[in-house]
Amino acid sequence: MDDNLSGEEEDYYYSSDQESLNGIDNDESVSIPVSSRSNTVKVITKESLLAAQREDLRRVMELLSVKEHHARTLLIHYRWDVEKLFAVLVEKGKDSLFSGAGVTLLENQSCDSSVSGSSSMMSCDICVEDVPGYQLTRMDCGHSFCNNCWTGHFTVKINEGQSKRIICMAHKCNAICDEDVVRALVSKSQPDLAEKFDRFLLESYIEDNKMVKWCPSTPHCGNAIRVEDDELCEVECSCGLQFCFSCSSQAHSPCSCVMWELWRKKCFDESETVNWITVHTKPCPKCHKPVEKNGGCNLVTCLCRQSFCWLCGEATGRDHTWARISGHSCGRFQEDKEKQMERAKRDLKRYMHYHNRYKAHIDSSKLEAKLSNNISKKVSISEKRELQLKDFSWATNGLHRLFRSRRVLSYSYPFAFYMFGDELFKDEMSSEEREIKQNLFEDQQQQLEANVEKLSKFLEEPFDQFADDKVMQIRIQVINLSVAVDTLCENMYECIENDLLGSLQLGIHNITPYRSNGIERASDFYSSQNSKEAVGQSSDCGWTSRLDQALESGKSEDTSCSSGKRARIDESYRNSQTTLLDLNLPAEAIERK
Amino acid sequence: MIDFSRIQKELQDCERNQDSSGIRVCPKSDNLTRLTGTIPGPIGTPYEGGTFQIDITMPDGYPFEPPKMQFSTKVWHPNISSQSGAICLDILKDQWSPALTLKTALVSIQALLSAPEPKDPQDAVVAEQYMKNYQVFVSTARYWTETFAKKSSLEEKVKRLVEMGFGDAQVRSAIESSGGDENLALEKLCSA
Ligand SMILES: [Zn+2]
Ligand SMILES: [Zn+2]
Ligand SMILES: [Zn+2]
Ligand SMILES: [Zn+2]
Ligand SMILES: [Zn+2]
Ligand SMILES: [Zn+2]
Ligand SMILES: [Zn+2]
Repeated sequence: MDDNLSGEEEDYYYSSDQESLNGIDNDESVSIPVSSRSNTVKVITKESLLAAQREDLRRVMELLSVKEHHARTLLIHYRWDVEKLFAVLVEKGKDSLFSGAGVTLLENQSCDSSVSGSSSMMSCDICVEDVPGYQLTRMDCGHSFCNNCWTGHFTVKINEGQSKRIICMAHKCNAICDEDVVRALVSKSQPDLAEKFDRFLLESYIEDNKMVKWCPSTPHCGNAIRVEDDELCEVECSCGLQFCFSCSSQAHSPCSCVMWELWRKKCFDESETVNWITVHTKPCPKCHKPVEKNGGCNLVTCLCRQSFCWLCGEATGRDHTWARISGHSCGRFQEDKEKQMERAKRDLKRYMHYHNRYKAHIDSSKLEAKLSNNISKKVSISEKRELQLKDFSWATNGLHRLFRSRRVLSYSYPFAFYMFGDELFKDEMSSEEREIKQNLFEDQQQQLEANVEKLSKFLEEPFDQFADDKVMQIRIQVINLSVAVDTLCENMYECIENDLLGSLQLGIHNITPYRSNGIERASDFYSSQNSKEAVGQSSDCGWTSRLDQALESGKSEDTSCSSGKRARIDESYRNSQTTLLDLNLPAEAIERK
Repeated sequence: MIDFSRIQKELQDCERNQDSSGIRVCPKSDNLTRLTGTIPGPIGTPYEGGTFQIDITMPDGYPFEPPKMQFSTKVWHPNISSQSGAICLDILKDQWSPALTLKTALVSIQALLSAPEPKDPQDAVVAEQYMKNYQVFVSTARYWTETFAKKSSLEEKVKRLVEMGFGDAQVRSAIESSGGDENLALEKLCSA
């Protein structure tokens, strides 16, 4: 029955079908809440930017009953962090919140921003001219100057790139100018500049907001990505680019951002080739070109015919025996140089070791498209055959699992390079400690690697040409290996978190957590709007009642959690429910639910 | 784009209100883009008795951009470069407001002479001396005032150099272009 597969049977994690399904059942109950928790990543396109921004503006306007431009000034000051703004309000009160951000509200303010009394002449303190009252504009802070002067001031400030914080012209007045006034006055004489001003304000939502980032695609797709709770995550933009939200470079978990940055530099840098040259060549003392030694004695000769001593690099004559060059004696330099060279050699070798493995997995995952094609071909052929087995989703699921775990595996090599190298944690671990940790980690890494390769091998089998029982065999292997690989990935992350980094107390190395289902795909911002609409008023009510409670109790945290937020998460979870579960599970397991 | 009429009005205003402060602004050229400010050294400071000249250049965006000011008289002060005369003062940078004027800026500079801010230095050497060896600082600043910022001493310098056989106008321009440094002026006169 299992002639083709029997040899490897004992290596599998789940030896019988029944056992594996039990394992999956247990898994299932855990994986639902974990996956649904973070499905809140949104794509913000040029079109939805305004709507996304308006959502926050409206919240603040309602919360504090202020005009839009005041809400924007506050939000820019607090980097679009509504929670933070809310906390300052509760902690320090409205006055301090406003004055800190440069919002000034006069109690007895006339509604009209033009100074009333229209045509009577008034003096402007800036240009020292008398102008009719209707040509003067008063800001919310109460200072009024003539429109020409305001326009001159706005022009300079917008051109200086200060659109987001144009302060009043009066000395020591820190009030932020009303954006409507700025827009109205500037557009009269310079419509282009007014447009620039609007763009700056709009893009502030992305640039000053720690929960929103531009997609780093080149050429730029025009999108930004918004996350809800945690900046430490990897996301996929609607343009298809996957990236690390924290550092905006390609997704690199389980490397930390710091490690990845170092690794990237190391790989692209010439430094390693420079290292190679120092190990394998010496500069000629006459023409200074690098000369390679090709075995033999320590006398080398450059293309320029100059001979020199390989050990110390000093120019010599040509007369020599194997052991010494006549008329030349190397000083005690020799030993230092040799040691230095040994060290460089060892460093290079170590780097090559990790880099080769990293590269091998990256290269394999580059063949994803091809393999993907191959699998779907085999699946469609199999589906047309007269077999007992009709469902081939296990093959595509296995394929996704393979891709996912290969990524983890490849980035685990640069992680290990830094984790167990001298560069980052030299003083944090004794060498014994390091050895124990390295063994622990490498055991896991090797197990994962072995299983990934096995999974890959089974997926490459021409199962579209096999008989029923053999296809069934492959199916079980693929399912078992998928589950095993997933578990191994999870274990490896746990090991990193608890056993490796956990004891080091170095906050800078945060690892994006393992996501069994792969990198989260950002959904369109508008869809979140829609689902919010379905929740209706309750979201706003939740927000305001939370404020009231907080104001009463004086505490901002965890009173009645914003019902709107929770409802929205549930909604998006429902939408993506099917894609959340199918990766590990055989079709029956899903059907049985 | 410079608002010349405002500069004109500022100058008239200065003329009209010749107050006790002794601060003056005079145009250096006809087009009002270069001016010279004069401030007397504040009483009770090592700068007392000196008269300090400040070069003023008006930027295109004046009064929405700050005027560029720098000492042409050599002065020993933590916030003023002893080499170039550059001034470290917030209202001449990001704290400028169009509501300020040349006169108010010069008043602020005068106030800076009375109250140095060694924690935000322009000249690190002077600032260090100010903080570590205040007495030496005071005497150096006084010596610089005596040497470079005293009217009478200017006349004395002119007199000495004229006695050496140089023309009066020549001597005056040499002293001015050397920032009041008599030896430098002599060098210039000799090499001319
Ligand atoms: Zn005006
Ligand atoms: Zn104001
Ligand atoms: Zn994109
Ligand atoms: Zn990163
Ligand atoms: Zn050579
Ligand atoms: Zn030989
Ligand atoms: Zn030698």
